[in-house]
This record gives sequence, C-alpha cells and structure tokens, in this order.
Amino acid sequence: MTPQSTPRTACSPLGSNHLTEDQFGELLSQPTGVRTSETTIAEAHVHTCELCAAELATLRESISLFRQASSAYADNELRNLPPVQLPARPAQTLALQPAYWAAAAAIVLAAFLPMQALRQHPLQPASASTTSVADRPVQSEDEALLEGIDTEISASVPTPMQALADPTGGGSGDIDSSVSTSTQRKD
Amino acid sequence: MVPDNIKTFPPTSLTLDARATPLDDLETIVALYQPRVFRFLLANLRDRDAAETLTQETFLRAWSARESFREDCSVATWLIRIALNLARDHTRTGRFRFWKHIATSAIDVDEVAASLPNREGSAEAQLIAQEQVKLIWKTVAGLSPRQRTIFLLRFLEEMEIPEIAIATSLPLGTVKSHLYRALHMIRTRHTPQKETS
Repeated sequence: MTPQSTPRTACSPLGSNHLTEDQFGELLSQPTGVRTSETTIAEAHVHTCELCAAELATLRESISLFRQASSAYADNELRNLPPVQLPARPAQTLALQPAYWAAAAAIVLAAFLPMQALRQHPLQPASASTTSVADRPVQSEDEALLEGIDTEISASVPTPMQALADPTGGGSGDIDSSVSTSTQRKD
Repeated sequence: MVPDNIKTFPPTSLTLDARATPLDDLETIVALYQPRVFRFLLANLRDRDAAETLTQETFLRAWSARESFREDCSVATWLIRIALNLARDHTRTGRFRFWKHIATSAIDVDEVAASLPNREGSAEAQLIAQEQVKLIWKTVAGLSPRQRTIFLLRFLEEMEIPEIAIATSLPLGTVKSHLYRALHMIRTRHTPQKETS
C-alpha cells in the first residue's frame, strides 16, 4: 500500500504509484493534525506528487463547500420551522401532579353539587298547580297529621315518657299542667 | 438565550423524575442540538417536511427515553442515533418511496448551491464553487443509505469515526470501509479526468 515517492513534477500513471483509495480516504477523513502511520506515509507521497496533492486539495475544497452550503441552507430552513412541541409532562407521572387531582376533584364536585341541590329542593311537578278536588281530603289528613306531630314536639314531656314524668305519684304544678295541656290538645 | 422557534414549558414539569439526566433541561437540549439534528436529516432525506417531522420526533423520543441515556456517549451522538433510527424506519416505508418521487418538499439542489456564502473572488469563482457543491450533493444522493449516512456524519456533522461507530452501532472497520467507498465514489465523479490521464 505504500506509494513510491516520485519527483513532484513527474507522476506515473494512476494505479502504479499514486495514493490508494484507502490512503485517500485516510487523508480526507482524518481530522487535520491527527497523524497515524498510514497518514504519515501518504502525506510523504503527497509532498512529492503534484497530481495527488492537487486532487486531494480539490476534494477537500469541494467537501468543505458542500458543508458550508448544506449548513447555510439548513440554517435558513430552520428559521421557518414551527416551534418544537415539547411534552409538558410525561404521561407516567400524571397521577402525581397536583393539577391532575385538582381537576379530578373539580369534575366530581361539578357532578355532585347539582345532584345534592336537587335532593334538597326537588322540582315541583307540573301537575301540582292543578290539584284535583279528589286530592283535597288527603291533603287535610296530612295537615292533621303534621299538626299532631307539632303538638307532640312542643310538649315539654313527650307522651311515651309521661309515666316517668312524676315518679312520686304526686304532682308538681309544671308537670301536671304540661300533661293536662297535652291531654287537652289531644282532645 | 432560547431561540424564538422553541416553545417552552415551566421547568417544574421537566424535573419530576428522581434520577437527574442531562436531558431534563430539554429546552437547552433543543436549543443546542435542533439545528444539528435537522441539518443531518435534511441532507440525508432531502425532504424538508420529513426532516421537520423527524426532528420533532427525535426530541420527543429522547425525552420519553431519557431514563435510558447512560451517558456512555455524548448527548449529540445519542440524539443522532435516535434520528438515524427514525430516518431508517421512515425510508423503509413504501409510502416514503412513493411520495419521494412527487414530493413537493424535496430539496432543490440549485437552492442548496445558491445558499453557499459569498466568497472572496470573482463571480465566476462563485459559480464554480456552486457547481462543485451541486456535484457533491448529487453524488451523495447516489450513495447507498449507509454510505450516505456515514459520509454526512463525518463531513457535514464533523463527527469522529469512533463517534460514528457508536451512533450507527457499526464496528469501526465497517464505518471506515463505508466511508472510503463513499469517498471513492465522490472522487471518481469529481475527478474523472484523472482516470484518463
């Protein structure tokens, strides 16, 4: 693989004593200043062979131009690119986010509150305003029942506890009066 | 300073995991490496839309797989490896092969050559330089996918050969072999006159 050194102005035809493909590749692809035993031999040949030196220089120049033009073109295109959409947060850590839980709580509340309100204030059925005459006795019975409950609640001693109201059998005025009141109201 | 073309998110959302990785600061990672990843994909696929989509996808993949980054290579190499895998998957699909023929977002070689910064010298010298760029660009397009990838990583991204070996998951010798073949192809197309001299 070692080329024969020839005078710089008198190179032999290609294939006899010029750089091999590998030597060309080595010289072109090695960074400037980096030398191996292979590049040292090849460079020694380049110093003596005008043809190889000129070809190497031209190729280096062309590759350099290619890099400059490609980079300039890409830089110009890059300016017209839309912004890179980076992920806000990874999907696997979504459950750890406070915002995630806040949103979930908001959704639950949004669903729960109207239902609760509906329970406390049920909608009046449309037929309520047009109550028939036949429903009136039922209403009066209901009113009587509610009145009885009111009376029971307002009594100082509830009816089931009246037996315990005066364990001595005697009567204090307050208890008697309340019992009699209760009895009177019942009557 | 973060460039305008990066949409940022609160840093709290990026630092949730217990094990800190260099990729946690994704804003900085994108700012640093987006031009590089995009440039490589653009030159490799020669399709602006595909390069844009895969650049985006590269950073999303990097973010979701950041726990697996063991820092046994640089962040740039790791990102390029992801981009390479995505590009490989993309080019394997029949859809890509079909649309490649009629893609409106395909790159025009004249536009690339015209992007060459103005050099000192005559207009003629500039034109010659642009022709050189076109020739290399077209030759690179004709390389095998692996040769093209390795050539671009070496001469566009200026990665060292060991880095390329890591990014492509190929042995060092294989990388060199593909690189030398790519250079041989370019040399053959570039200097045909020497063959006949």
